[in-house]
Amino acid sequence: MNGDCVLGLRGLTKRFGTMTAVEDVSFEVRSGRVVGLLGRNGAGKTTSLRMLLGLTRATAGTATVFGHPYQDLPRAAHRVGVSMDGINPLPGTTARRELRVWARALGLPSSRADEVLGQVGLDDRADRRVKGYSTGMKQRLALATALLPDPELLVLDEPANGLDPDGIRWLRTTLRSLASEGRTVLVSSHLLAEIEQTVDDVVVVQRTLRYAGSLDELTSGGTRALEDRFFELVGSPTVRENTGA
Amino acid sequence: MRDLLSAEWMKAWTGRTWLIIAASGAFMCLLASLGYTSGIDKKITEQHMDLSTVTDDSVRAWMMTLLFASLFGAVFVTREYTAGTIGRSVLLSGSRARLFTAKALVGTAMGALSGLLAVALAFATTWGALAASGHSPEITRETWLIAAGILACNVFAGPWGVLLGWIIRHQVGAVVTLLALTLLVDPALQQLAPDVAKFLLTIAMSSVYRDAKPDLLPEPIAVVVIAGWLAAAWFGARKLFLARDIT
Repeated sequence: MNGDCVLGLRGLTKRFGTMTAVEDVSFEVRSGRVVGLLGRNGAGKTTSLRMLLGLTRATAGTATVFGHPYQDLPRAAHRVGVSMDGINPLPGTTARRELRVWARALGLPSSRADEVLGQVGLDDRADRRVKGYSTGMKQRLALATALLPDPELLVLDEPANGLDPDGIRWLRTTLRSLASEGRTVLVSSHLLAEIEQTVDDVVVVQRTLRYAGSLDELTSGGTRALEDRFFELVGSPTVRENTGA
Repeated sequence: MRDLLSAEWMKAWTGRTWLIIAASGAFMCLLASLGYTSGIDKKITEQHMDLSTVTDDSVRAWMMTLLFASLFGAVFVTREYTAGTIGRSVLLSGSRARLFTAKALVGTAMGALSGLLAVALAFATTWGALAASGHSPEITRETWLIAAGILACNVFAGPWGVLLGWIIRHQVGAVVTLLALTLLVDPALQQLAPDVAKFLLTIAMSSVYRDAKPDLLPEPIAVVVIAGWLAAAWFGARKLFLARDIT
């Protein structure tokens, strides 16, 4: 493995009964890069990320973060920030209390919660119940939780879902800003046009790995649209494979 | 571990779950307690009950709080599955084993608080109800043993609910299971096969709060039986939580 490899998947496979959600997926993410994990709904993106983080056990293969399985990585929660589809706030809480709970779990001062609330633009609505938040506000809160430990690696699953155009622009700027600070970002999405403006590298999965490399190489230096290349790799919707995540 | 315990303690007080469960338990126990103290003069003159028996029955009525302590424990775990928070808890807790232990300890502490509240309210309502009819409670050593038993059973019930929560992982399922075991299955088995039923968890608990039923285990043996149930639930719940996918 290369010295600056932050995370690596090798032969990762997940079967649910007779259904194979992810099959033999291997790729690496290098330090300081923003990497887009692309695929259709049900292509296995979230399942791959859940295996990477030890939430779901792989049927075969390995996934490592900073050279260790997540569950064996010392101070993993301080080094990896996660915003994951299906991971939601505590019931009945406000954004401030939610972040203070997690700050306490991480051994951070409560003031850190206020800092990240400001960073994602929720500081003026921090004491409202999360239940009443819009989808975009919930996405911002999820990103705030991921940023709480000031992590080296961010794993973001569909962070643009539910964001309005202002939110999407804000997310793009934020991700680039985080990368410029030397952080690594792995962001899954199916918003191809948005990803094209944000990432350095691309991983395309459709149950199996279809591409892992630089965006520049995939789009031939920007002469071809990511969308066109994506459909060439995964097939047209009419011949869509029977897959799931 | 201290940080994680502190975070779990904060979670326990987040939302209104604790308030709803505590208020529901107190209301039901209050009704039962008032049932024992109502018509006190008639009970003393016509049924030849003495004041100490009425006092003991009224205090013992608060044993039902153990059901609510276990319900809180179960909801404390399962609401994270229902809400989708459990993944975050696992990721930020350091390890699943640490989270498992922290939740069990906080569930036990909440059970102890429930027990202390139950004992305080048991004495307060008994005194209030008897004073309203011109009597004073007759508190004996037996009354204190009943109160200590209620406290102990609440302490046991908290982690019992937490452990069942880890096994069942579904809020409605866990609540229905606890209600069914406590109110239907165990009492029914006690009627049908008392020699076997006395080894069930909730029936063993009735030894500890000194229920007047026959065929109960002696208290020390009942405590050992309860410890056995908790140990078995701990082992099973931990094994499942460490092995299963977080969904």
